Amino acid sequence: MPKGFLAQEIDELKADLVEMGEYVVRSVNLSIESLRLLDPDMAEDVVTMDENIDHQRIEIERKCLRLIATQQPVARDLRVIMATFSMATDLERIGDHAEDIASIVIRHADEPLLKPLIDIPRMTEVAMGMLRDALRSLVDENDELAKKLCERDAIVDGLYDQVFRELLVFMMADPKTIARATYLIMAAQAVERIADLATNIAERSLYITTGVYSELNAD
Amino acid sequence: MSPVITTTDLNLYYGAFHALKGINVGFADRHITAVIGPSGCGKSTLLRTLNRMNDHLGARVTGEVLFRGENIYGPGSDLVSIRTRIGMVFQRPNPFPFTVYSNVAMGPRMHGVPASQIPGIVEESLIASDLWHGVKDKLHSSALDLSLGQQQLLCIARVVAMSPEVILFDEPCSALDPETTIHIEELMRRLSKEYGVIVVTHNMQQAARVSETTVFILSGQIVEVGPTRVVFTSPSDKRTEDYISGRYG
Repeated sequence: MPKGFLAQEIDELKADLVEMGEYVVRSVNLSIESLRLLDPDMAEDVVTMDENIDHQRIEIERKCLRLIATQQPVARDLRVIMATFSMATDLERIGDHAEDIASIVIRHADEPLLKPLIDIPRMTEVAMGMLRDALRSLVDENDELAKKLCERDAIVDGLYDQVFRELLVFMMADPKTIARATYLIMAAQAVERIADLATNIAERSLYITTGVYSELNAD
Repeated sequence: MSPVITTTDLNLYYGAFHALKGINVGFADRHITAVIGPSGCGKSTLLRTLNRMNDHLGARVTGEVLFRGENIYGPGSDLVSIRTRIGMVFQRPNPFPFTVYSNVAMGPRMHGVPASQIPGIVEESLIASDLWHGVKDKLHSSALDLSLGQQQLLCIARVVAMSPEVILFDEPCSALDPETTIHIEELMRRLSKEYGVIVVTHNMQQAARVSETTVFILSGQIVEVGPTRVVFTSPSDKRTEDYISGRYG
């Protein structure tokens, strides 16, 4: 039997969210690369991408609003639409964090990095894997994929603690490094928040299936 | 989207009662337009004006109803042609007391369609109205033995068999169960790929679900016309907002 109108609209809504998610992943990866290379032009691209991300969120919100107003969804359909609405906001916040990292580069590209980036790119790799899996758990309705995200959130949190402690040592040893160390801590903190937001997305994906809000964040 | 039917300064009177007041509205082709409003507002009267079904009620009409640019109230208008090209599905299913087959075949036969073409037209019309699989093995059974929902689909097939250009639906689901209602709404969406569809409904949720444009009528006057997604999220007139929010009507 062909899918009904509402079912097709919901499939399109999910596809829009996944597309937004992929774009956000590119934005985050580009922001970290711009930090690694201290490339302000690359950082400016991230700023432009953030404007597009904002537009995508607004479009998804409009679609959700239209579906609620015109199709009177109930039960699971309603949960999917409401969850997608919230997930779009979470993705937009991730985009904002990428822009924050890019802003650091734009302001301080003339100062060399305090140390080569190793842990921050590693945090980013794990966080982006989490984000992709959170969105996949929505599309595939895979609860197990969503539930496993908290393990990786703990990895990101652990790496953040490591970065913080290492930079703290730098700052204590040489106060002239405080500014550059602070910028790197801010960047690491942004990635840590990105991982938390990816976990939020997974929580909302679980909510669609179970109708119950579960806390998946490691801390 | 170009209108297939346009009303210009349309007024309708039942005796001294001024039922439609200065109606200026266009209905797009291959598009679903819903007409909503409280009971007695004139929405069904407006619908019936679009194919002159008010004539036999003794209504007096001023203004114009243009169908593809021709005023259907002009001198020399062919009522049979108008009502063939602008078909209508009514609130209560009204199949003829004949077989399923005859219900659909009757219109084309009366219009002189060659007998050899009739079986194909019947089958295509029943397929188009989503009824074929339910009746293909009982085409020569009485239409009155069908369920109410199937009877309404049969009435839709009867209209489709006449190759209309516009289909008017007057509260088509008010007598039907929720499952059949959803079925007919999906059917309206498919039909709107080929025909202009105008549906009068007192069910605002149905109007919101199925239509692309919504016309809100109050006391015989149009209050607001707009894309359904806008009318039901950000109506420009407070009266529209009050009505769709259930504050009156």
